[in-house]
Amino acid sequence: MAQKITKTQRFMMKNWIVQFFRFLYLNTKILFVVAKGHGGTRN
Amino acid sequence: MAKIVVLGAGVSGHTAVSYLKKELSNKHEIVVVSPNSNYQWIPSNIWIGVGRMKAKQTVFPLAPLYKKKGITYIQAKGTAFYPEGDNEINKGYVLAEYVLGGKKGQTIKIDYDYLINATGPKLNFGATEGLMPGTNKTVSVCTYDHAQHAWKDLEALITRMKNGEHVKILIGTGHAKATCQGAAFEYILNVEHELNRYKVRDKAEITWISNEYELGDFGMDGMTLKVGGKKMTGQDLAEMLFEDRGIRWIKRAGVYKIEDGVVHYETLEGEYKTEKFDFGMLIPAFSGHGFKAYDKNGGDITEKLFKGFMIVDADYTKKPYKEWTVQDWPETYQNPSYKNIFAPGIAFAPPHTISKPRTSKNGTAIFPAPPRTGMPSGISAKVVVDNVIELIKNGENAKLHKGSMGNMGAACVASSGFGLGKGSAVTMTVNPIVPDYQKYPETGRNLNDTIGDMGLAGHWVKLALHYMFIYKAKMKPFWWLIPE
Ligand SMILES: Cc1cc2nc3c(=O)[nH]c(=O)nc-3n(C[C@H](O)[C@H](O)[C@H](O)COP(=O)(O)OP(=O)(O)OC[C@H]3O[C@@H](n4cnc5c(N)ncnc54)[C@H](O)[C@@H]3O)c2cc1C
Repeated sequence: MAQKITKTQRFMMKNWIVQFFRFLYLNTKILFVVAKGHGGTRN
Repeated sequence: MAKIVVLGAGVSGHTAVSYLKKELSNKHEIVVVSPNSNYQWIPSNIWIGVGRMKAKQTVFPLAPLYKKKGITYIQAKGTAFYPEGDNEINKGYVLAEYVLGGKKGQTIKIDYDYLINATGPKLNFGATEGLMPGTNKTVSVCTYDHAQHAWKDLEALITRMKNGEHVKILIGTGHAKATCQGAAFEYILNVEHELNRYKVRDKAEITWISNEYELGDFGMDGMTLKVGGKKMTGQDLAEMLFEDRGIRWIKRAGVYKIEDGVVHYETLEGEYKTEKFDFGMLIPAFSGHGFKAYDKNGGDITEKLFKGFMIVDADYTKKPYKEWTVQDWPETYQNPSYKNIFAPGIAFAPPHTISKPRTSKNGTAIFPAPPRTGMPSGISAKVVVDNVIELIKNGENAKLHKGSMGNMGAACVASSGFGLGKGSAVTMTVNPIVPDYQKYPETGRNLNDTIGDMGLAGHWVKLALHYMFIYKAKMKPFWWLIPE
């Protein structure tokens, strides 16, 4: 059985104020993950 | 002075051209060879395909930009590689064929000191019988003109639904070894979102069909993410969304034939089944372009350069899934036989898939090919540029830059509905892209960097990325501050 999106989750997903802060968080997170850089894997 | 030829002006080719122009002085020559006169921001095709964006918002012509920047642009397609030259030209060259104007069909030899092959994939619709966009009730969103056509058909379908007709919509992968599940995933959710907007959702049965073993595999062998601080798998996330949107799903399906409104597929259990539809969008197999390569005397050396896609510094030794490691994945994107040839983005031949290979009881391979999304395509292009510049500057003593997909983070923002107020997207970040079970034994990825989120903010991020990446591609002031 698949999990269900709860009422609270749905409210949060649509709420402009909550989502504004998520927007800031996601942009920062994406920048952080990408800007962390990249490199090789072999010695 | 060096002459650098870039084949292809898509995400990786155009990124390479932009950085080459920025980093190299004008005494070096940069030549771009690409058949499409436009640059296109492919991720927004999804929105063209549901009528929420016009194609012109996602493309711009390359010729004026390249002219302004002093980059030579040849509107042609590469057809064959001569890395040693021939008895006329004493250096490597590419044979290309003009695709437009009076010279259409004529060939040209384009010599180079360094060659960047960024030709991406061939959309191999022919690999699945009957899968040709615009026929058999199927459409595609892989290019902007395909996506425009998809919207025309979807719009007509919506009209039929408004008139009370019940319809079946089928979206997913159109080949047993297709990749790019993410694009199909976005399209199915966007179509569902639009049907609600047009108040005809109750008139459609929407079905997902895919070669994934479990939903949320995305050709990346699935993933474990942190969602709201809790651990969740890609499968949990995808099933939750589909359940919420009333989308049914068929997984482990290798589509092999399409007839008018009927898809034929084989399951991993070895059964042959069919599914009817009135509107289908099935991602085709991606393949190499079938390039040939020749040595100085005209001898065929295709196997030195290509394994479908271009051979680079990956470990192509055949070994079982259990023995695969991140070390198999390329680091420099340099061809081992010809050190002045590189292949970033989708153009390089992967060592193997990322998802576990599986075959049906009849011996048919049914599993996703490895995706190379926009971010790794851009990053590998930047790595290649750094390497070309390093070679120009230091020749034999060059120390090459590395950027393996096994040591690289990426973000994927999968749109699940367009709209500033009512849109949504699933945002995922992963690090590394190819799981590294030595470094992260539990899930193969760093859980602090591998997160998922659903909601309106994701749509804003995706829309912001659309404008940012087009700004960057146009090489407007300070474009390089925008990361790949
Ligand atoms: C519908 C869709 C949605 C997507 N959404 C996302 C997303 O949301 N996020 C994301 O990260 N990725 C997404 N992707 C994947 C992304 O588009 C690819 O990762 C990316 O385009 C790969 O870049 P590339 O340069 O390797 O290939 P391409 O961008 O395909 O570029 C290849 C270039 O080579 C040219 N070419 C072809 N043949 C020749 C030839 N013979 N000679 C010279 N040039 C040639 C082509 O004209 C093109 O300019 C999506 C893909 C699709 C199809």
